[in-house]
Amino acid sequence: MANFKKLIKDIFAFKEPKPQEEFILKEKESEKIDDVSNKNEKSPVKEKKGFIRSLFTRSSNDEKDSGSSDKKNNKLEKMVYVSKDITENIDYLKKRFSIPTNGDIVLREFDILVKDKTISACLIFYDGMVNGMLINLNILQPLMLLSNLDIKDKGTENKNISEYIHKNLVTHNQVKVSREFDEIIDEINFGGCGVFVDGIDIAYACDVKGWQHRSVDRPNNEIVIRGPQESFNEVLRVNTALIRKILKDEDLVAESVSIGERSKTPCSMLYIKDIANDSLVNEVRRRLENIKTDYIFDTGELEQYIEDNTIMPTPQIIATERPDRVASMLTEGKVAVIMSGSPFALVMPTTNNDFLQSAEDAYVRFPYANLLRVMRVIAIFMSLLLPGLYVAITNFHHEMIPTDLLFAIEASRERVPFPSVVEIIIMEFAFELIREAGLRVPSPIGPTLGIIGALILGQAAVAANIVSPILIIVVAVTGIGSFAIPNFSLGFSFRILRFVYVFLAAIAGFLGITFGLFVQSIYLCNAKSFGVPFMAPFGPKTNSGYEDQFFRAPIWKQENRPDFLNTKDTKKQPKISRQWAKSDKKRGK
Amino acid sequence: MGSKAKKPFIVIVAFVMCLSMTGCFDKREVDDLVNPIAIGFDKGEGNSIRMTLQIAIPTKVAGGGDGGGGGGGGESVSFTTVEAPSIYSGLNMINTYVSKQLNMSQIKVVVFSEELAREGIEKYINALIRGREFRPNSYMLVARGTGNVAERYLRAVEPELESNPAKYYEMVLSAYRYTGFSANTSIINFYKNMVSESTQPLAVLADISQFENSDDINTDNSTYREKGRDYPLEGDFKAGDMPKVGTIKSEIMGLAVFNGSKMVGEFDGEETQLQLMLEGNFGYSFVTIPDPLSADNVVPLNIRQNRNPKRKVEIIDGKPNIKVKVFLEADILSIQSGINYESIDKVTILETSAEKFFEKGLMRMLKKTAQELRSDTAGFGKEMKGKFFTWDEWTDFKWIEKYPDSKFEVEVDFKIRRPGLMLRTNPATGTEEGEQ
Amino acid sequence: MEDKVIFGKREVISLLLLFICNQLILGFPSIMSNSAGTAGWIMTIYVSIIALCLFLIISKLYSAFEGKDLLDIGEFVGGNIGRIIVGLIVVIDIAFIISIKLREYAEHIKIISFTQSPIDFLVLFFALGMIISVYFGIEPLARSAAIFIPFIAIGIIIIVAGSIQNFELSNIMPILGTGSYDIFVGGLPRVSIYSGLISILFIPPFMGDIKNIKRIGILVITISGTVLTLGILAYLLVFPYPTSSNTALPFFELSRVLEYGRFFQRIESIFLLIWSLTGLIYLSCGLFIIVYVFSKAFKLKYYRPLILPVAIILSTLSLIPKSLIEIMYIDNRIIRYYSWIVTFGMTLVLLTIARLMKRKRGGITKNGK
Repeated sequence: MANFKKLIKDIFAFKEPKPQEEFILKEKESEKIDDVSNKNEKSPVKEKKGFIRSLFTRSSNDEKDSGSSDKKNNKLEKMVYVSKDITENIDYLKKRFSIPTNGDIVLREFDILVKDKTISACLIFYDGMVNGMLINLNILQPLMLLSNLDIKDKGTENKNISEYIHKNLVTHNQVKVSREFDEIIDEINFGGCGVFVDGIDIAYACDVKGWQHRSVDRPNNEIVIRGPQESFNEVLRVNTALIRKILKDEDLVAESVSIGERSKTPCSMLYIKDIANDSLVNEVRRRLENIKTDYIFDTGELEQYIEDNTIMPTPQIIATERPDRVASMLTEGKVAVIMSGSPFALVMPTTNNDFLQSAEDAYVRFPYANLLRVMRVIAIFMSLLLPGLYVAITNFHHEMIPTDLLFAIEASRERVPFPSVVEIIIMEFAFELIREAGLRVPSPIGPTLGIIGALILGQAAVAANIVSPILIIVVAVTGIGSFAIPNFSLGFSFRILRFVYVFLAAIAGFLGITFGLFVQSIYLCNAKSFGVPFMAPFGPKTNSGYEDQFFRAPIWKQENRPDFLNTKDTKKQPKISRQWAKSDKKRGK
Repeated sequence: MGSKAKKPFIVIVAFVMCLSMTGCFDKREVDDLVNPIAIGFDKGEGNSIRMTLQIAIPTKVAGGGDGGGGGGGGESVSFTTVEAPSIYSGLNMINTYVSKQLNMSQIKVVVFSEELAREGIEKYINALIRGREFRPNSYMLVARGTGNVAERYLRAVEPELESNPAKYYEMVLSAYRYTGFSANTSIINFYKNMVSESTQPLAVLADISQFENSDDINTDNSTYREKGRDYPLEGDFKAGDMPKVGTIKSEIMGLAVFNGSKMVGEFDGEETQLQLMLEGNFGYSFVTIPDPLSADNVVPLNIRQNRNPKRKVEIIDGKPNIKVKVFLEADILSIQSGINYESIDKVTILETSAEKFFEKGLMRMLKKTAQELRSDTAGFGKEMKGKFFTWDEWTDFKWIEKYPDSKFEVEVDFKIRRPGLMLRTNPATGTEEGEQ
Repeated sequence: MEDKVIFGKREVISLLLLFICNQLILGFPSIMSNSAGTAGWIMTIYVSIIALCLFLIISKLYSAFEGKDLLDIGEFVGGNIGRIIVGLIVVIDIAFIISIKLREYAEHIKIISFTQSPIDFLVLFFALGMIISVYFGIEPLARSAAIFIPFIAIGIIIIVAGSIQNFELSNIMPILGTGSYDIFVGGLPRVSIYSGLISILFIPPFMGDIKNIKRIGILVITISGTVLTLGILAYLLVFPYPTSSNTALPFFELSRVLEYGRFFQRIESIFLLIWSLTGLIYLSCGLFIIVYVFSKAFKLKYYRPLILPVAIILSTLSLIPKSLIEIMYIDNRIIRYYSWIVTFGMTLVLLTIARLMKRKRGGITKNGK
């Protein structure tokens, strides 16, 4: 009784809300630095205000200024040529590859012995992307061991030492010699091994690509017709390599984080250094580092630890098994988390629209992609509302059924003993049951069992006058609609909400459904995923970044990154990305 | 955002409250309702009305349940007639013995008997407009004759092409778009015209055919003699008088003309077509006109109205002077006499004769509305309305009372556009018999 | 005020549009047709122009008080008491309107589709929606409004476009309706249809800079004026005058005669979705303003505890009138006649006084500029 009293009191009595730190995605790097320096002066309320205001009213000039100053800060001085001094090279490499933080890069320092002379050298490569044996046998071995052998051609002794190493020492088939740092680094990003030797101003890039091929499988859940057919597997480094293979950008940072006090499961947090918003990266890192649990096994668990709202039916983090999808979202400025032992990567922050998109949208041509999008939205509304609408119309709004259809429904329901709500709940339940059972049944009989079960069940239920045939159509269309939703979790959320709408429709017809839609939209508009409003860019209208939201603009028109992500670099491509079109015109004139 | 656990709690509690409050008040299953598709009103004893409902039986109409297959198994409709002081009291009475609750939202036609219509139907129309379940788009019909004609008409409706009588009504009453022998007389239009100061309402005439078999067919009731013709054309009939026999007994042709809410006269098929032309609602239709050069023959034309008529009203000496110009286009369907009307020089003969034909018809019809019926069916008052600035001036003008004194000037612009597939009629060749 | 939320122009415009245009689907068209006959649409244009002029004056006076809302100005004029008086006037005004509209929405929905349900059941639905949405604050409400407004607009467009086939120009024909006096003098108090504009003067703390207020106000009046005019024009074009002035639910009647072929007839129930959605957003927004103004007027730290009691009071108030006829009388004769007094009258007086005081003070400090 006391408990009950307390419960009632809890519900109706007002309690002062606990001050809760809420993360909101910061707009600009420069602003953020300001905030830090002025932290003591500025109240948190003001900070928030500044942020939200900046979300809506932003001047592009500001943005550009801060963007360029960013680059200066981050990149320091850029080395164009390889230095003669190896320590300088190593320092630069460390900076360039963010070496202590970036976990999958290997920088190996060693000495080459030439005639009692010790020349220090180093090689650098991405772990997981290279074939280790090749490096051992063909690069390290000759340099470290064979360099001391007598060299027959004495004439070359005084010649260029770099030529000597290239021609005589490195016993590898593909070696690129270059003075330019960028060329070497590009090669490293693509699975090469960079070799730097003290005293010479050139470096070698050996092609030792050796990432895992065999274990990389076709995606099982996110199947596309057009586009890459790879999916993640359970090996962390293979997964990072899969992404790196697609992006080939040294600014892509794979920070290592380990989660689980006992398990210390290695995770990799990926982001593109000069695109992703720093505060977003910091927030993801903060959430990841502050998980206190013993063991963690899968990103599915991780998702639940770091998401904003547990009760909200809609997922707030996207889980995907496609490296290309992760890569494309990283280029938008999002952050991905890959976990050892899980073939699903988490990408955050996520907005409502991300769930409506499939990887294929980007790969098929513009008209096809938009057809798919429209179909998908219709499918979503069907899977969410159709049973509810059926109940509402047949119970409250008969007049809007066309006469012929009304008579058909009436005739088919004539012998059914249940009210239509009960009828639809029975069928929906049966459908969910078949779906779940079909999933758990051993794979060879699974799909057949599902289909046959559904068919026989439907057929028999109609024959036995338990449900009306029109209702079977409604349930079946709803089911098909829910399969057309590209995201598994989102489909789940609609499966739950569908029942809510059936109840609401049974209570008050269209009024109930409207009430549900209203409350749902309030709820969704209120939600945030890592500081980004969930319904962005529609919930709060943002200025740009509509090119790939509800409809997809032609690819050459997608110039901006989504505004709500507040990326450091807002442009994806210049105004005219198809330069040939421009030059052609000029030629024509 | 407040303590996080509380939010969903409140939502859930609110839902529970909401659920416990509800009794699903308005919830009615589809199969708990019965849907009449037509309603007929006849005059009853004294002040009451005799109401007939035509009720579709869904299992028969849709062939559902396990009775499916042979759709023609039995009657797809049932009838019930009740005498009651008002529409709703009648419905209440019917509800006591029809097992399911009546739901009037599928009513397609409302039929009034001629007797009732001549007495005035304002109170019934108001009841139908006020009720939420009655559709404003249902069609208004007037059944001709005396006695319980509305019931008689409804019982005679036996659609053969459709299993669903509702569809029959919808199709047959929208056929005016390609026949011109009826009009769109929805209840809402009827009501609007009934209360309007500028125009008068119309309703479609309905009756059942009076001929049992082909030998009985005659054209005694045709209106061709009044029009001074030697033989009846297809428009010279009203519902029930058509020279036809067949399994479909019900007929729809012509219009009932009202003055206020009282029926004052009838239009036959041709007048209905002219009425539609004056309104600009004439779609297309086959119209037969007499051959200008060969008296025994006729020329059937496919006539369309592609432009709205030009209508002008002026007040001369306190009397309205109405000018109408109707634009018609036609395709030739056949030339019985074989005269080469397709040729450039002869086509004008046909055109002017057609113009004359329609002008004569329009003149006769307008004079009839003004002098005989005293009802502005074509709504010329609407043109007059624009000449006033305020509503009071307009109502003080009392158009409805002035209309019978109107003078008319009618002009028809008739153009033949296409001759069909043939460019000239070739005469049949053969030897004349009897000469040898 | 737990959260200082700031939202964009688009959200504000959507909210205000819903705040003003929602009357289109209530009795507004038939009320206009009742008071000006066939010239209801001219009256709407006229009233919109007057409202625009009044608003321009207000925004001119207001320009000296950038970023402040009406309560701050009240405080500027009369200290704490001034603020509380202004707050109470606004709260009572809006509470009165909202409770009447709450009942009106419920009654309309009842007539349209829920003839057997008791009225408190329908009021409960709206009240519940109001409570839940205001609980989450104005931010999600404004965002939802921005998301829903295209759908509502599409619904209205479908109704208007679908009834084009029933248009008849002669229906609006005696062009001045019941006479120019009725329109231009008798129509003056009808400026109350823009009484929702008062909410624009509570937005500044949520908005960025002041210039927006003027622009937003002009935009809102123009758009809603256009929408209202087109809506009533469509209605008058379909229903001739004597008929048009005595329908209880004008737009519902309009949607009832919609027909897209044989299959898409009788689709008016679909518009129930749009209407109850508009009602929910409008009423929630009204509730928020009440609660917000009240808490600010009395310098309360939180407005949330007020939501439940205020919502209960509103729904109780809404159940007081005995019948729909009484409700429509109140709406037509009181709200649409006198609510301009608060929206335009009080605001103008307040702003004028404030402006004078400011000039005086400024004159003293700056030594007469």
